[in-house]
Amino acid sequence: MDAPTAFRQQLLGVIPRLRRYARSLVFDPHAADDLVQTALERALAHWHQFDQRRDILVWTISIAHNAYMDDRRRHARSSLVEPSDGFDPDATQPAAGTDIGLQLDLVKALGRLSIEQREALLLVTLEQLSYAECAEVLRIPIGTVMSRVSRARIALRALLDGKGAVPPGTLRRVV
Amino acid sequence: MNTAAPDDTLLCAWIDGELPPERRAEVEAWLREHPDDAARVRAWSADARSLRSALDPVLDEAVPTALTQTVWRKAPVVLPDFAWRRWAAALALFVLGGAVGAGAMWRVQGSASTHTVLASSGGWVQRAAVAHSVYVPEVRHPVEVKAQEEHLSRWLTRRLDVPVKLFDLREQGFELVGGRLLPDASGPSAQLMYQAITPPGAASAAAKPERVTVYLRKPDDTTPAGFRFERQGELGLFYWVEGKSANSGPTGYALVGALPREKLLALAEAIYRQEPSRP
Repeated sequence: MDAPTAFRQQLLGVIPRLRRYARSLVFDPHAADDLVQTALERALAHWHQFDQRRDILVWTISIAHNAYMDDRRRHARSSLVEPSDGFDPDATQPAAGTDIGLQLDLVKALGRLSIEQREALLLVTLEQLSYAECAEVLRIPIGTVMSRVSRARIALRALLDGKGAVPPGTLRRVV
Repeated sequence: MNTAAPDDTLLCAWIDGELPPERRAEVEAWLREHPDDAARVRAWSADARSLRSALDPVLDEAVPTALTQTVWRKAPVVLPDFAWRRWAAALALFVLGGAVGAGAMWRVQGSASTHTVLASSGGWVQRAAVAHSVYVPEVRHPVEVKAQEEHLSRWLTRRLDVPVKLFDLREQGFELVGGRLLPDASGPSAQLMYQAITPPGAASAAAKPERVTVYLRKPDDTTPAGFRFERQGELGLFYWVEGKSANSGPTGYALVGALPREKLLALAEAIYRQEPSRP
């Protein structure tokens, strides 16, 4: 059965928030919208699994998170074939002018956090999810959310203070 | 104050409003007496604010129509394999025969079990996929008129009554093979075929070259104007309608290929940029 209209309208309502979340993960606007599109398609395909008592934003963000992780895995495997995709965390320094709203330093620093820390930080600070919701999206215990968020804050501040002279690779492995 | 020093996770939980009132009060008392920790907490809060102010403008951007259309699209119907073959066979017959009576075949096919597909994406998009499947495997006669013949564009433009431009996709790694005119119940359409440029020396890859096709025609009235993507088996389709311009009516475009979506998207964008109505 096809998704009911009311559900589609709920989905329409979360698109702006999904786009912001995707942009904070992927930076490149086109790649980010691609991610949103994938998330919307998956949400529509699984609309019957959505429990109306839940927050549709949290539900769709978890779908977007899973889609993003799938993309990363796929691109990690095929990186020899397509090296220039928008999902490479090292390629997160956007060309000047592509994202006027984004402050370069901040974005650069954000891009240098491990994906685990970055996602936890974004969900809590940008999306303002509760720790419980964040744990649900990332499918990790709340204690892990707490430690990732605090480490992410410390790492981000260190990078912005210019103390982040660690090679990006090492930092990304500290989870 | 003789409370133990709150660790960083506790300080963060305080910022994030996750603490019960009594713990919150403890942390606040601690911060009042420990300016260093208070400064760190302020910096973290400031970072959160700048993250939000950096990314909040995305919320005010116009939502791309492709996304809203995704939400309204009916679930794509996957054609069973045998139905595909029937469609392909019907098209091949139609093209080879070129007979008037064959025109009815499209209508018969169109009104049969595939109705849902037609409703979802406009019949011409479906035909673009079928035409792709029919001609792409052709080794000797993939096109009717080769790319080198300079009348290709003029011929197709005249027959279609929409401007047919030979898009240059070399930057994206594809070169034009040529084009063909396709008959259709509701008017002719054109197919341009592109093939992956094989680097010199990579002769073995030439056995089955990667090909994409661009299908153009006057769109059905029901086709939405925005950029849309659909996947049918291994085929990906991007399709859109370019609006009226000074010298022509709207043109429907469908780009078809068995490529990952990002690759197809890059090609679709290149075509979109080169559209004849674009200044």
